Amino acid sequence: MSAHKTLKLIGFVSIAISLSFGALFASAQEKFGFGKPAHPDEIARYNSDIHTDGSGLPDGSGDVALGAEIYEYQCALCHGEELEGVPEMGANSLHEGRRDIKKLPYASSLFDFIRRAMPLTDPGTLSNDETYGLVAFLLNETGVIKDDNLTLDAKSLAAIKMPNRQNFIIDPASRFTAEDLQ
Amino acid sequence: MKSNQTGNPTRRHFMKAGMATSAALLSSSALAQETTLEPSRGPGKTVMEMGYYGERSEYVKDARMKGNRGTGLIGGSLTPLQHGHGIVTPSGLHFEVHHSGVPDIDPSEHKLLIHGLVGEEKVFTMEDLMRFPTVNRFHFLECAGNGMGEWMSPRGQTVQQTHGLTSCSQWTGVPLKVILNELGVRGDAKWVLAEGDDGARMTRSIPMWKAMDDAILAFAQNGEFLRPEQGFPLRLLVPGFEGNMNVKWLHRLEVGDKPWWTHHEVTEYADPRPDDKIRAFSFIMEGRSVITSPSAGMTLNGPGFYEISGLAWSGAGTIKKVEVSMDNGNTWHDANLEAPVLPKCHTRFTLPWTWDGKETTLMSRSTDDTGYVQPTYEGMYKLQGPIGLMHNNAIQNWHIAQTGEITNVRS
Repeated sequence: MSAHKTLKLIGFVSIAISLSFGALFASAQEKFGFGKPAHPDEIARYNSDIHTDGSGLPDGSGDVALGAEIYEYQCALCHGEELEGVPEMGANSLHEGRRDIKKLPYASSLFDFIRRAMPLTDPGTLSNDETYGLVAFLLNETGVIKDDNLTLDAKSLAAIKMPNRQNFIIDPASRFTAEDLQ
Repeated sequence: MKSNQTGNPTRRHFMKAGMATSAALLSSSALAQETTLEPSRGPGKTVMEMGYYGERSEYVKDARMKGNRGTGLIGGSLTPLQHGHGIVTPSGLHFEVHHSGVPDIDPSEHKLLIHGLVGEEKVFTMEDLMRFPTVNRFHFLECAGNGMGEWMSPRGQTVQQTHGLTSCSQWTGVPLKVILNELGVRGDAKWVLAEGDDGARMTRSIPMWKAMDDAILAFAQNGEFLRPEQGFPLRLLVPGFEGNMNVKWLHRLEVGDKPWWTHHEVTEYADPRPDDKIRAFSFIMEGRSVITSPSAGMTLNGPGFYEISGLAWSGAGTIKKVEVSMDNGNTWHDANLEAPVLPKCHTRFTLPWTWDGKETTLMSRSTDDTGYVQPTYEGMYKLQGPIGLMHNNAIQNWHIAQTGEITNVRS
């Protein structure tokens, strides 16, 4: 191979290398820019989740009496008149086992899930007041807070300390400790 | 030798009746000199008649079966592992578990919202998402409740009932870290809430280290778009983590500093222990194996050669070894691991075996590359006790009677 050709080849290779490096560099540094900025209204429409400190809890309130009324016609068919559960409807007892309300670590989960996913055949239709009422009813009924006049709102629900909280231990394989999660 | 029996009515009758003509041909050397060959089947169906999305043979009937629990809106169906081959589960046989049925979602209207502790809060259409660089990964997906009915005593009649809540696919999608890096993750972000767009708007908290490791926003499975029951058009895939965390119909990710302790995290998917403690955030599906053939519900057809074949998998890594015992756990033999052997993926193992016709028990035991050895039921009880439900990964015993009949037993 002549020196001229060799030089040409080296030149070509180095241009090719710098081009490909350039492309890699660009992809590593620059943004793709796909998607649109989320409008706050759009976030608010979907951001229904309740954090364990109670943030996300909406306005409104409900008491045990309201909850009992809602429970009777929205929940009892599957969960049973006495919260005993109707297995053929897919619902286990709320007094014992894995669905035992006394065992929940946070009341926020209860509000979040009822408002999000219940009733099974028409999820997401309970009002905030009705959901507060149901949480009050369930906590009273299961003896977590024995108070027939219990009324819950964002502030009072966030203040509830569930009695079983300290019994939750964190699987080390999750790479978190209990302290990380406080 | 008389050369011609062309008019032999018996033979014509045989052919017309469509009976086993090979037997007829063997019956006489004179017949072997017949000039008439077994006719071909003639033309089959046309391409147009076959249709443009291929169906399996009408003679193949393998199907999922409904699990014991639930109404069908909540609950799911099990994969027929006993009829499976290789490591990939056909998409139509992949197990399913739902919390409010299977939604019908138009992909042109589907969006993924990402918000919370990120630099930019954004909404992505499917078209947007599919423009990002993709990965293709083979991973198993296993429900944490796979084998829940087996904790106290052996109950499943077949491996479909004992182990059918695991399946394996090639998943295609965008690494979640690519998109999180694109948006910028704040220093205090430790968790991501994944929410599905099913009726239950199911939510799970995913640790940020997993989101930035190998989590995938998957839109395809086994070379085609996800099936509706697998989350069409978008699901989260967190390889090796319990199935419930692989949120289907994914439409929202919220980045936060703490876990949400969602309903599923504090009820079904938390593991009560004998000491009243409850193990939470037990994400990883640990190493497990099972012999899929021969397995319960089958009957061996007399002494002789059988290939033992099964599946092993580990949510913590790659299968390094599978040992098989054909004598009730007295001696163990290393099985062949069929390539490919991939991390967080079903691995097919085989072992040739000659059955002597005597009563015995078959079992398999996996070891992964973290050194984790699949436990016995006794070993597993030490962690969760006999009250456990989720994360059953104990060694499975298949009893073989002298009749060849195979049953699910606990030795």
